[in-house]
Amino acid sequence: MIRRLFKRIWSAATAVTLAVLVCGAVLTLAIGAAALLGYPPLRVADLWLHGAAGSWYALSSSCADACPLLLTGLAAGVAFRAGVLNIGAQGQFLMGALVAVALSTRMMICHQPVLVIPIALIGGALAGGMWGLIAQYLERYRSVPVVLSTILLNFVALYLAEAALQGPLQAVGTAAAQSPEIAGKYWLPLFVAYTDFHIGIILALGLAVLLWVLQERTVFGFESQVVGLNPGTAKAMRMPVTWRQFQIMFISGGCAGLGGAIQVLGQVHFMTAHMGNYGYAGIAVALLGRLNPLGIILSAGFFGFLDTGAFRVEESSLALPHDMANVIKAVVILVMLVLAGISLWRSRRVGNPGSSAPTETPSA
Amino acid sequence: MNTTQNLITFLSRQAVTAATPMILAGVGELVGELSGVINIGIEGTMLMGCIAAYTVTGVTGYGTVGLLAAVATGMVMAVIFAAATLWGRADQIVAGTAMDLLGVGLSGMIWMMYQNWRENLGFSTALPHGSGFSPVVIPLLHEIPYLGPAVFEQYMLCYLTICLCVVAWWTLNHTRLGLIIRALGDAPEACHAAGVRVRLGRSLCLLFAGACAGAAGAYLSIMQTHAFASDMTGGEGFVVLALVIFGRWKLPGLVGGCLFFGLINSLQQTLQAARYTSQNSVLHALTHVPFQFFQMLPYVAAIAALAVMSRKSPGPRYINIPWPSIKT
Repeated sequence: MIRRLFKRIWSAATAVTLAVLVCGAVLTLAIGAAALLGYPPLRVADLWLHGAAGSWYALSSSCADACPLLLTGLAAGVAFRAGVLNIGAQGQFLMGALVAVALSTRMMICHQPVLVIPIALIGGALAGGMWGLIAQYLERYRSVPVVLSTILLNFVALYLAEAALQGPLQAVGTAAAQSPEIAGKYWLPLFVAYTDFHIGIILALGLAVLLWVLQERTVFGFESQVVGLNPGTAKAMRMPVTWRQFQIMFISGGCAGLGGAIQVLGQVHFMTAHMGNYGYAGIAVALLGRLNPLGIILSAGFFGFLDTGAFRVEESSLALPHDMANVIKAVVILVMLVLAGISLWRSRRVGNPGSSAPTETPSA
Repeated sequence: MNTTQNLITFLSRQAVTAATPMILAGVGELVGELSGVINIGIEGTMLMGCIAAYTVTGVTGYGTVGLLAAVATGMVMAVIFAAATLWGRADQIVAGTAMDLLGVGLSGMIWMMYQNWRENLGFSTALPHGSGFSPVVIPLLHEIPYLGPAVFEQYMLCYLTICLCVVAWWTLNHTRLGLIIRALGDAPEACHAAGVRVRLGRSLCLLFAGACAGAAGAYLSIMQTHAFASDMTGGEGFVVLALVIFGRWKLPGLVGGCLFFGLINSLQQTLQAARYTSQNSVLHALTHVPFQFFQMLPYVAAIAALAVMSRKSPGPRYINIPWPSIKT
């Protein structure tokens, strides 16, 4: 028992060390590349670090940027683990944001923040979940693969949001597709004054832990993993495959929708249809975090840290393009993948059944 | 020439123009998937093709050089992807999303630095006059009524795409090479036993796919628009992925899907414009519909078509399974 626990801690520790080493190596390379392109390397590194974690405010904006990524990452992670290839977090995120904005700017019945904020958040999550269920319905009853319908539904959601933002939800006095600003009393409260630490961050972290417990410690989590690895086996074991897939899709879409709701209520306070590619980035976050909710927390934090720092460097006199952050993310993911793939190959080839295999990702 | 004929001519020509880059990228993606490798990052490769074609054309003044540069860039992206997935045994879906990020990031970076550089030198960032491509009109044939202009008043790359489709279809279905490509994705063990080098074969397929996606990017930036904007592909790469499944991994299905998508798209654009000028009361009533609902139409139509056809095809069996596979 203790030996097993020790082994688990050891393997987790080596994984984290490896990740830190890879990130460090890639960051060094990136700064070297910046030097080659003619930017002063030390100043870039300095600005980047200070911009992302140099003060409480900087740290809070990194966390606030990581928050929607964490939720869309969880959305992708939960679904992929159960073999539901939900590429539609982007659309579900938008639907969640749209409903949250509608509820918080157009709700006429009550004006109590204590009621409006939870209703808007829950409404956003429900909207995301329902949007996901459309795809699952099409898969189950009309044989349209989820991968396909979620991609197409992302575009439908985009134009639907634009139509609403230029129609019933449009702000007075603009021609752009943009909602009015949400009244200050409906903003998510901050838990550290004068920063971006809003309670949505705590909510997202809590949800990640909850999902971890759900996946690792409940029958539901076990069954959904079996469904993901082999639906045939799951059916033979009399697991409710279809029902599990619908539940997983609803949870996944709900996470993404909640991400959208939190983003508008906590961070940007108004809505346009182009609020960033959080949904697509969430896929990368989930996969870098190995589909484990706790790993997804780390990878979302890493992404948020990189993005925030990169924007500060771009705003400075150096004007290094912030897209550098995306390049770094891509290289980190590729290197980690190759390391994992090769180590899995080696451990299996030597014929070592005891070695811990990394989480399997589903095949298309 | 009556109005109906004009309308059909216009719509079909627009549809083919819009469908060409999707067909081009789709043929590459199809060959890659048939050989057992799915590349989700096709969007990133297309973006790299866009920026490479645009900057190289801007600097040299020759569109052809830009096109070649885009093809080469697409192949470089393919080499990275192949190295990670085939030799590094990385998961293809994850590596694909990373390639997408890489394409978005690198193209955005290059675009910003290119702008700064040109402005410091005192040049405009627009393409030099006459260096972008314009449609090539084929004499006589383009006068065929109805569908003549759709096929014979297109960009140079469109004609190449048509040739490519015919060659690819013939190769895939009627030659030994095509058999090998399909076997790579359906029975790699058999290929191995027959002396075909599986990873090398898949890499070559990926190289072809990268070249196609790069050329499709060039089509968008130096032919169709003569401009570059960050994220200018606007999800077209993902639509291509969807259309490959839509066509059930068959080339005619893919081409049909792309043309259908292009046709609905040009139809909605025409409807949007026509509803304000038309005297027809039905058309005029459409002025109250927000224009976003028209933009939504191709995607809704694609979903509806899939839901109605309702037949599942599993696709190549060894997609996203690294070679040599682990014995359990």
